[in-house]
Amino acid sequence: MSLTTAPAVITEPASTTRISLRIIDPAAVGAGLGLAFPTKIGARTVAGARSVLCLGPDEWLVQAPEREGEAMTEALAAIGTTLPLSAVDISDREITLALSGPAVLDLLAIGCPRDLAQLPVGSGCRTLFDTVQVVLTREAPDRFHLTVWRSFAPHLQALLDIALRELATGL
Amino acid sequence: MTSHRLPNRGRVDHARPVRFSFDGRSYQGLAGDTLASALLANGVHLMGRSFKYHRPRGVVSAGSDEPNALMGTSRGPRRFEPNTRATIQELRDGLEATSQNRWPSLAFDFGAINDRLGSLFSAGFYYKTFMWPRAFWDRVYEPVIRKAAGLGVSPSEPDADRYASRFAHVEVLVVGAGPAGLAAALAAGRCGASVMLVDETAEPGGSLLSEPSVTIDGRPAWDWLAAILAELAALPNVTIMPRTTAIGYYHQNLIGLAQRLTDHLAAPPEGAPRERLWRVRAGQVVLAQGALEKPLVFDGNDRPGVMLAGAAQTYLNRYSVKIGDRPAIVTTHDSAWFAAFDLAEAGVKPAAIVDLRASVDPALAARARALGIEVLPGHTVTGTSGRLRVQSLRVNRIENGKVGAAREIACDAVLMCGGWTPSLHLFSHTRGSLTWDGELKAFLPGEKTEAVQIAGAGRGLWGIAAALDDGASAGAAAARVAGHDATAQGHAVTVDRTGSGITCKELPTDRDPARAKAFIDFQNDVTAKDIRLAVREGMRSIEHVKRYTTNGMATDQGKMSNLNGLMIAADALGQEAPQVGLTTFRPPYTPTSFGTLAGYHQAATFEVTRKTPIDPWAQAQGAVFEPVALWRRAWYFPKPGEDRHAAVNRECRAVRTAVGIFDASTLGKIEVVGPDAVTFLERMYTNPWAKLGIGRCRYGLLLGEDGFIRDDGVIGRLSEGRFHVTTTTGGAARVLNMMEDYLQTEWPELKVWLTSTTEQWAVIALQGPNARKLLAPFVEGLDVSEAAFPHMSVAECTVAGLPARLFRVSFTGELGFEINVPARHGRALWEKLMAAGQPYGITPYGTEAMHVLRAEKGYIIVGQDTDGTLTPDDAGLSWAIGKAKPDFVGKRSLARPDMVAKGRKQLVGLLTDDPKTVLEEGAQIVADPHQPKPMTMLGHVTSAYWSEALGRSIAMAVIADGRARDGETLHIPMPDRAIPVRVVRSTVFYDPEGARLSLREETP
Amino acid sequence: MLLIRCPYCEQDLPELEFAYAGEAHIARPQDPSSVSDEEWRDFLFIRSNPRGVHVERWRHVNGCARFFNAARETVSDRFLATYKAGEPRPDIASLSGEAR
Repeated sequence: MSLTTAPAVITEPASTTRISLRIIDPAAVGAGLGLAFPTKIGARTVAGARSVLCLGPDEWLVQAPEREGEAMTEALAAIGTTLPLSAVDISDREITLALSGPAVLDLLAIGCPRDLAQLPVGSGCRTLFDTVQVVLTREAPDRFHLTVWRSFAPHLQALLDIALRELATGL
Repeated sequence: MTSHRLPNRGRVDHARPVRFSFDGRSYQGLAGDTLASALLANGVHLMGRSFKYHRPRGVVSAGSDEPNALMGTSRGPRRFEPNTRATIQELRDGLEATSQNRWPSLAFDFGAINDRLGSLFSAGFYYKTFMWPRAFWDRVYEPVIRKAAGLGVSPSEPDADRYASRFAHVEVLVVGAGPAGLAAALAAGRCGASVMLVDETAEPGGSLLSEPSVTIDGRPAWDWLAAILAELAALPNVTIMPRTTAIGYYHQNLIGLAQRLTDHLAAPPEGAPRERLWRVRAGQVVLAQGALEKPLVFDGNDRPGVMLAGAAQTYLNRYSVKIGDRPAIVTTHDSAWFAAFDLAEAGVKPAAIVDLRASVDPALAARARALGIEVLPGHTVTGTSGRLRVQSLRVNRIENGKVGAAREIACDAVLMCGGWTPSLHLFSHTRGSLTWDGELKAFLPGEKTEAVQIAGAGRGLWGIAAALDDGASAGAAAARVAGHDATAQGHAVTVDRTGSGITCKELPTDRDPARAKAFIDFQNDVTAKDIRLAVREGMRSIEHVKRYTTNGMATDQGKMSNLNGLMIAADALGQEAPQVGLTTFRPPYTPTSFGTLAGYHQAATFEVTRKTPIDPWAQAQGAVFEPVALWRRAWYFPKPGEDRHAAVNRECRAVRTAVGIFDASTLGKIEVVGPDAVTFLERMYTNPWAKLGIGRCRYGLLLGEDGFIRDDGVIGRLSEGRFHVTTTTGGAARVLNMMEDYLQTEWPELKVWLTSTTEQWAVIALQGPNARKLLAPFVEGLDVSEAAFPHMSVAECTVAGLPARLFRVSFTGELGFEINVPARHGRALWEKLMAAGQPYGITPYGTEAMHVLRAEKGYIIVGQDTDGTLTPDDAGLSWAIGKAKPDFVGKRSLARPDMVAKGRKQLVGLLTDDPKTVLEEGAQIVADPHQPKPMTMLGHVTSAYWSEALGRSIAMAVIADGRARDGETLHIPMPDRAIPVRVVRSTVFYDPEGARLSLREETP
Repeated sequence: MLLIRCPYCEQDLPELEFAYAGEAHIARPQDPSSVSDEEWRDFLFIRSNPRGVHVERWRHVNGCARFFNAARETVSDRFLATYKAGEPRPDIASLSGEAR
């Protein structure tokens, strides 16, 4: 089966530096980082290779290419000297899978109770897949990134593999 | 051509024969058949034996309400299903079906003796019969009843099939694809609403499939149906799902659907699940489930060949099967007359139409006579004959309310119709109220609790035209609520055979009703006299009548029997039906396989198994694993020829004498960061934190607000406002939730944040006298000597070139380190240490050795040595309480009277008199093993191991006033003996001075 | 499975994302050492458990992770309102009116 006709495919995108950032004043921290921090839960802004996704009222997921990771950490440490914040490196805590294809919504619907057809492209959410907490972002109409804690990945991968075989049967 | 198949009609494919077997005999059916229609086409009516009396039974219905034709079906090993409804199971090549509830054969069943002994098995017989003698309860009654009870045989092997599940979200869900449902889907779908149309049968169309002579909008019904299905299929916003049963209707329009995917396929594609459970959240639901035909209640109404008139009509028109050559019709409703007419027009000559009503529509009577059918209005049926197939009907005229003389009518089938009852099951799941329609003698949907429309026969509207129009309005209304501009279009219908009828209790008879076998619930073998007996014996509520007689409690949930049971109970109680009321319908609408409910949760994906980064290495080494919370952890690493004890003893020796390496990655880790971090920890944990220096660690004890131990772990201070908190493996999520709760809701003013870092770090413990020698060469940026990096230190450094957090901690009592590195590097570091550790005798050890080693040191495991009822003092951990702290979670509770009372259970050590005896964890402890039972139990063993280091067994226990019993001998009663033990106040069995924690030696 | 409106996410979301967390508006005493044994017992253990409107805590644990409060009709299992932690309890009488 070629990639163009598969109902869905799963790939692993390049890993990134990921920082769980907890702050009180997103505007001030955003100004310091040169990133506009979205304040609506689920909204994401992208600036070049960096992005920031709002996961909670005081919680953001900041991502940057690994080569910029150290600079990002240092910048946050500098801001932390004047503003109360918590920046914790979670780059190794979780892994990301890229799910794409014409049937990607069906693939996600085997485990995710949310109506993901309504999730705008470019935004994300923390939700559940099967019994496992995940963070989903919609990268394109038919492409999602699913991020899950590392130890849960084999279980999710096994479920997704079963679902891919199921989708391929057309039933 | 099989014996009872008519040529060139129906919706079966006469050009595609299908082979199948029933009870080992091979038969031929057609594509499009159900198992039931194919057997009927072969003249087979006898399809099963009844549950209680083992009476021979034939198929009664053509749908999911079928109570009798339940069979075992199989497609080979590990693919057997009991109680498959033959009326729903589509025929496929190679289908193997077997009858149930009979021995040795369906035609001759030994269990039918129960039928002769019927008087022993009247309603409630099991409440009366198996009372005495007492000694028979366990040894005779239960085994015998267990063997006799149940329908069908449970599969004995694991199911080889896979099952699936899916969530869905739609604006309009339409349940039932009959005329009402199709019109609803069309009205909603045409205006752009997202629509899901589901039907439990293989083919959409509902009653239209049995009414081919109707015309709709100028077209024959089946042409109209084909056009409508094509239009719906072309709409991208509409999904049609046949073979999909709406099994339950839950809060806020969540509908459970069970979809059958492969049972109809001769060769299912590889990877295809058998069934799929859908959880659909619908903006609006349209229930278009139609109505169910009621049987009539008369003596012998269960003989094979007696079936619902509407079912016979369906078998004729849809499956091209004549159910007999000379059927007789018994009815109280016009609809059965139409079935008779269809049969007559197809060349089958009905013997007679017996109608309880004295006056029937003259047009119907005229038509019957024109077709050569004898018409008997104002007649009742008082019996049938025939052993494995009905042979005759006993008919009596009713004159002035009296049952007159009987006559026999020869027949080979009886078609009965006691009227129609709206299908209310799903509506009842929503706790919507029901209202009684006195004219229809039926319950109809009343007040709604959900966003639902009920359309067509489901709310008492009879006829195709009414169903189409009502469905269209319901669909349009649903779409409008969803924000679409929808209008309902009417449909022009001709040859719409509406009719009316009456509802009655059991048919009047000239015989002794106490001797009649007039069945109400075919599946559970409940008769009219059982209902009357229940009322006589004092049952007043319909719910009690139901449970006493088991009426409606079979797998069909009373689809056929509820209304008849109610009419008879109401008559016996001298009340009206609505006063007696209906029993409650509950999900699922039809029996649903466990596989469907389990979905993907079977085999390897039964539940989550969390694995550490080092897990693959352990697996490659042949480690034996144990589950700990959702994790699997290496339990021990056996060498060839070693059993568990040998392996664990070797691993323990290595840690005490050389160096052991342990995967501690599963430990919960929480990063506590912010200017108020120390304040937060002061309030959460019992211990004092303000004076903990940067680079130092401390044991932390966490209580619930009730004062009982909840968790513990080591907490390291990395900077002024950054702590690395560890929790137990199983407690990680709970502790984080508890901390977030206090932080968000009690102390929102604190500027501190919590981040789980459990999985950020792989954690490798090196424990043993050689630990430092092994580790030191790998460490950069840190002096790990005893002086510079003493016990309970923490530092950020580089280990083997990797960024690391290094802890100098010990859960073994030996010199120890725990190396945290980013998870992706965990396995590489482990392998480097393994290689470099060979000269030092490095030995991987598992959780069992870890447990032994910590027990030798008296370190508790929360959840093993504590059970949610132990205070710090009970556990001997008073030293961990910051006495000067004004408050911490649980502090106030420690002063409650019960918490300071004497007699509390305290954690102590136990030593068996015989050093070789290892106690059983969980064993109870008594002072005198000879006291009368029930004995006074003083406590129980919480931990017990063989200690290789001490050459004897050790144990910990919680015992009432345990510390005051130091030196006392107590006893552990076991099934074969009582084991004497000596209480020791201290739980520290090994190296009580702690000298080994701080071994000073030259680093190489 | 209920749909629950998270007052932080401002969306109706599946119950699977949420965890129940007991009765709401039971504040931990400011100074536990100053309360009597009886008062402390009531704080720990005594709950209203009404047939009718129950004011309770939920956590959007598989979402924004916030604890929040909700008023729920325990007979019909319907949510009448959800609101952020720290916000005042809504007027129960008017909510139950709406429920009918």
